[in-house]
Amino acid sequence: MAAEPLILMEGVTKRFRGVPAVENLTLTIGKGEIVAIVGRTGSGKSTAMQAIIGTFPVDAGRVRVGGRDPYTERGTLRGVLSVAFQTDRLLPWRRAWENVAIGLEIFHVPRPRREAVAREWLARVKMAGAEDKYPHELSGGMRQRVSFARALAVDPAIVLLDETFSQLDELTSRELRHDFMDLVRSLGKTSILITHRIDEALEVGDRVVVLRPPGHVVHESAPTAADRNDPERMAKLRTEIKAVMAD
Amino acid sequence: MAEPAGRGPTLIVTAVIFAALGVTSLFTPDYIIPSPRQMGAAIVELLTGQSRDLAITAARLAAGVVAALVLGSALGGLMGVARPVARYGKSLLFILSGVPALSWMLLAVLWFRDTETRIFFILFIVVMPFYALNVYEGIQALPRDWTEMLEGFRPTRREVFRLLIVPHVVPYIILTTKSVSGYAIRMIVFAELIGAAVGVGARLAQAQGMFRIDRVFAWTILLVILNFALQAAIDFVERRMLAWRPAVEIR
Repeated sequence: MAAEPLILMEGVTKRFRGVPAVENLTLTIGKGEIVAIVGRTGSGKSTAMQAIIGTFPVDAGRVRVGGRDPYTERGTLRGVLSVAFQTDRLLPWRRAWENVAIGLEIFHVPRPRREAVAREWLARVKMAGAEDKYPHELSGGMRQRVSFARALAVDPAIVLLDETFSQLDELTSRELRHDFMDLVRSLGKTSILITHRIDEALEVGDRVVVLRPPGHVVHESAPTAADRNDPERMAKLRTEIKAVMAD
Repeated sequence: MAEPAGRGPTLIVTAVIFAALGVTSLFTPDYIIPSPRQMGAAIVELLTGQSRDLAITAARLAAGVVAALVLGSALGGLMGVARPVARYGKSLLFILSGVPALSWMLLAVLWFRDTETRIFFILFIVVMPFYALNVYEGIQALPRDWTEMLEGFRPTRREVFRLLIVPHVVPYIILTTKSVSGYAIRMIVFAELIGAAVGVGARLAQAQGMFRIDRVFAWTILLVILNFALQAAIDFVERRMLAWRPAVEIR
């Protein structure tokens, strides 16, 4: 029997006040895979992500993360999942390293150890020297780097990126995406990027999944390194995705 | 012209008030407004002979405000995390806040034989709702983004409370303390005036009975100084505890 994928969504439906946000969604993600889910606003991509996080129970179907239900077995997934959000969500009263260490604090890692880990992660996301600064003393890009460090510091098996790069200007976004995805790949993490930017999805994902409302998979592709180096093939993929998103 | 910074404006306003009192005292009898010299002498007299009353008032103030802060914040915290407690708690607090302070004072005199219990009760019951309601409102204003971020790490309720809710409501508690300190001083003096034999309020009543207007002014000045000292202490705590807050400048 084949092993269950790390993330499994099978016939998942979720309604809000009777309106389906996601309907009969089936999606599997294997260990170490980087999947970009792209769709327009209201396509159900964030709801799918929330279902994986276990924010709410689904109305139909099943969600499994590492073989466990993320909603009913919430506690067992401590440290398995980590999320980097669209906004940095840093706590203003905590210094940069303290923000990075918050997950470790929840996992009861002793203070000297969590401080050392947090400082090490800040250095890895190119934030050495800013460890003791408060969030308001950092730029938008720097704050987002701190939030990446916070997501990775707990050494999760799965990193979820919820429109993580979309609030930054194009140059900063590209730079951060490059640095962060390099880290995620080198660490062998499984990752899901939720985005509305087709270019971003094609650049990051080993697999690109296109959703249309309400959470229907309408297209899947797996851009290779060769595709990424060929502007014509990339343009063709972009056009295909744009077409299915717009239909 | 450049505006004076820091405590400059307070010193200027204080100097103007004293100058106005000094000038007015030249044209009025001593039993209406005594001269600054008489007021100064009365202050020295009180500080050397009746400083214990000032200390007692300050201690009562500290006990009442600290108890209101601790229990009011706890109630506000409970209301913030438990909806049924919020519904009933808010109703209770609105009723408590609607009762005139004078009614509480008269009730306290009737209900409690012990003076300290009376004073404590009055101060606690008038100040506590401010803490409870402000802490509750603070929790309501907690950004959902932060709770979602923390939820990602699967914290226990206790961890959410410790890592998110408590630090978030600290500015609300400090702001409430700043707002109620002057009010609390006025309340405690009233309470002592009605229900105590010692303390500044009781001494003020005594001075009035003896037509010692210089002492009435002297006690009043000492109470204003007590309020300044209290505000300075709160400012100090605020600077230490809220060092993370950026200075906001509106042009």
